[in-house]
Amino acid sequence: MKFEPRIVGFLCNWCAYAGADMAGTSRMVYPPNIRIIRVMCSGRVDPVIVLETLAQGADGVMVMGCHPGDCHYTDGNYQAERKVKMLKKLIAKTGLEAERLRLEWVSASEGERFAGFIKDFTNQLKTLGPSPLAGENPDAEMLTHMLAAKAAAEDFRLRALVGRERKLVEEGNAYGEKLIQEEFDKTMDDAINAEYARNRIYLLVKNEPLPVKELCKRLGLNPKEVLRHIVVMKRRGLITVDKVEGTSPLYAALEAR
Amino acid sequence: MSRGKKPKIGVYICHCGVNIAGVVDVEEVAKYAEKLPNVTLAKHYVYMCSAPGQMMVKEDIKKFGLNRVVVASCSPRMHEVTFRRVVEEGGLNPYLFEMANIREHCSWVHVDEPQRATEKAKDLIRMSVARAGLLEPLQEKEVGVTAKALIIGAGVSGIRAALDLAERGFDVFLVEKEPNIGGRTAQLSELYPTDEYALDVLGPMMEEVVSHPEIKLFTNSEISAVDGFIGNFKVKIIAKPRYVNEKCDACGKCEVECPIEVSNEFDFGLSKRKAIYLPFYYAVPRRYVIDDKNCNKCGKCAEICEKGTINLEDQVKEIDVDVGTIIVATGHDFYEPPKGEYGYKIYENVITMPQLERLLDKNGPTKGQLQFNGSEPKSVVFISCVGSRQEPGVYQPIKEDQKLNRYCSRVCCTAAIKNALKIKERNSATRVYYLYRDMRTFGRGHEDYYRKAGESGILFIKYKPEAPPMFSGNPKHSIVTVQDVLTSNEIMTISADLVVLNVGMVPREDASDIQNKLKITRSIDGFFQEAHAKLRPLETPSDGIYLAGTAQGPKDITDSVAMGSAAAAKATIPLARGKVEIEPIIAIVDEDVCSGCGICLVICPYGAIEKDEKGVAKVIEVLCKGCGACAASCPEKAITILHFTDQQLIAQAIAALGGTHA
Repeated sequence: MKFEPRIVGFLCNWCAYAGADMAGTSRMVYPPNIRIIRVMCSGRVDPVIVLETLAQGADGVMVMGCHPGDCHYTDGNYQAERKVKMLKKLIAKTGLEAERLRLEWVSASEGERFAGFIKDFTNQLKTLGPSPLAGENPDAEMLTHMLAAKAAAEDFRLRALVGRERKLVEEGNAYGEKLIQEEFDKTMDDAINAEYARNRIYLLVKNEPLPVKELCKRLGLNPKEVLRHIVVMKRRGLITVDKVEGTSPLYAALEAR
Repeated sequence: MSRGKKPKIGVYICHCGVNIAGVVDVEEVAKYAEKLPNVTLAKHYVYMCSAPGQMMVKEDIKKFGLNRVVVASCSPRMHEVTFRRVVEEGGLNPYLFEMANIREHCSWVHVDEPQRATEKAKDLIRMSVARAGLLEPLQEKEVGVTAKALIIGAGVSGIRAALDLAERGFDVFLVEKEPNIGGRTAQLSELYPTDEYALDVLGPMMEEVVSHPEIKLFTNSEISAVDGFIGNFKVKIIAKPRYVNEKCDACGKCEVECPIEVSNEFDFGLSKRKAIYLPFYYAVPRRYVIDDKNCNKCGKCAEICEKGTINLEDQVKEIDVDVGTIIVATGHDFYEPPKGEYGYKIYENVITMPQLERLLDKNGPTKGQLQFNGSEPKSVVFISCVGSRQEPGVYQPIKEDQKLNRYCSRVCCTAAIKNALKIKERNSATRVYYLYRDMRTFGRGHEDYYRKAGESGILFIKYKPEAPPMFSGNPKHSIVTVQDVLTSNEIMTISADLVVLNVGMVPREDASDIQNKLKITRSIDGFFQEAHAKLRPLETPSDGIYLAGTAQGPKDITDSVAMGSAAAAKATIPLARGKVEIEPIIAIVDEDVCSGCGICLVICPYGAIEKDEKGVAKVIEVLCKGCGACAASCPEKAITILHFTDQQLIAQAIAALGGTHA
């Protein structure tokens, strides 16, 4: 059977959803691959929800909001933009193609533009092929990666960074010092790498106690990096030394998270 | 999450006549829906929004003890309110209702694939059922209303709206950017379809505005900020300095003394005015004004003024007003052809229709004599659809970044014929040529003008948009060459003393500013957009803000006045009721989870979140609009958006991918 991608769309009520309605009113034909979920604002789309949708096997996720400057809620679409930027980096870490997540602006009158995006995304996903997480037998390894990404997106650090990004870059901190976008991006990249790795470690040692050497192998990181994460995670009360085998301590997850 | 009884969901699939049932197999979908978890019954019916359809839902709620209802039909933007009321009348909380959009998002866009459309309809219903099971009852909040209205723009539409509202006894703040009221209508000569003089029609209305006790008029003023929501808007008005107080009796001595002469915008550059001036003879309020962009503050006007009405130290004033509803009647600008389009700004005798209106106005720069550059034109050429119906690929843009206006401006055809007839009335020997693409004299009485014009000897020449009239000659005198479609593309060469471009209407230059302040939307043509083209032509997506006149799109005075009255009627509803219901879709904070990090305070565009005495976030319910940006950003996930919870959205997403568990 021909592969038909399954797309889940999160569309803001005021512009994009209305634009999709307009496509209907104007009888613009587009492929029936998208399932639309209405939210009040694209800024409502929590990164965790997007990752969950991808983990559940969506071939693509489309977030759509008002054009820059046109947000019904002033600037929710800019929040969405920052979230999607972070998400794409996080998704890339899991091995899933980041282009399976797309953010587009559609106004209430742009039925044609909406239909165009759906056609384009459907074709793009057809070329990309089915998501490894879709279907009866999802890629188990990638699924654990996705779960780590989801856990990272649930944690304080990334959420706090994304939440503060616009203020830090555009208005400055409490001392009026503005961060240059590149500096912020560097901080964000480091945070994504670290949080993703730590959640991977956590999920791995939750299954079975593991030594640093084994963790290095599974994560593709060097012992110095893994040890650094372990120190932080111990301090945060996430893991503990379960036992020592030979000279290597085996780490295990603490249940209370 | 506190959940009541097990969900018992009723699913109703609407045929919408053949709109849905013509593509989607509604019977198959109903059979499928009946087997979904938590679904008690699934039915399909020809029109769910009809009285029998509504009755069916209400009866089933009682008969089968339904505690959730899903209607699969059109967009929730169309009928969510209708069905919320239905389930409420059936005894359920209105927020236990959910809609699946199987028309706009399915049957209408997948006509070519009925089988896949049917499958998609099943998916959409499965998603709605999953969400419905997680819905919680919510209570709408009632808030009081400030029984006053704000009208932005005092053109004919805004004036009509102001008078109607004031007649009903509501206080009206009427804010006009220009120093006088009357808008574009005041710049016209005679009006179709009655041939009445514009100021004879407008004058009494303008006087009534000034004298009406319920209307507070702010001329030379603008809106600088709008806060709040329906029933409770807080508006900041900026009154620019006029430098002349209300004691001015327009004696005009100051004007004589003033050494500065500039082009008069009221006459579209056809006359000059001073830096202190009365915008036009019948200006209301009849009071001079100083144009501070050009005034050099020499003080001669103040010296000569016997009444001492002039104060060159006049300052900007800020006025705060509270209103319940707002009408946007900001009007339009005229299309300004780029240099070279139909010879404009190359040949001196090429003018625009608003300029011709000034020449034909008995109080205009030529006192109504058709005089151009000191002589009476013997031949006049009108060219239609200038700045309107600019079809990409057909219309050749003059400038590189030119935005094409693809719409019809609706008034130009009849207005130009009216003006052509007025020229013939003045001198029947004047040769008048009317070069048109299509003739759209659609209103009552408009066709009579077209007929009369034919009888009076005006020559109509139809040209093709891909072969527009061409210009040659010298800068003072142009020769127009055009292919006449109706005589098998015969090439006509016309020696023209005057060429009038029937320029269309374009959105006001400051439209985006108004848009941002009011948080309303604009259509792709740049005019403000109504909430629904057919069913909600006066409302904007922002509750309590309405549209009137050409701010919404090209229309003539008849339609602008009608829309002004209609918008006033709409704006009266909340004012007369004295209360509005606020949707309970708001954020709530779990204070046990909140760490007081304050990110939500940064993110909230409405300042609707504050820290309470315990240092945790607290939502100010009347300010919260429920956008949900805070919830999506909260590092502790301590914020829930009612009616759009994470669980509800995730359940929909899982269901979209085939899962049936909530």
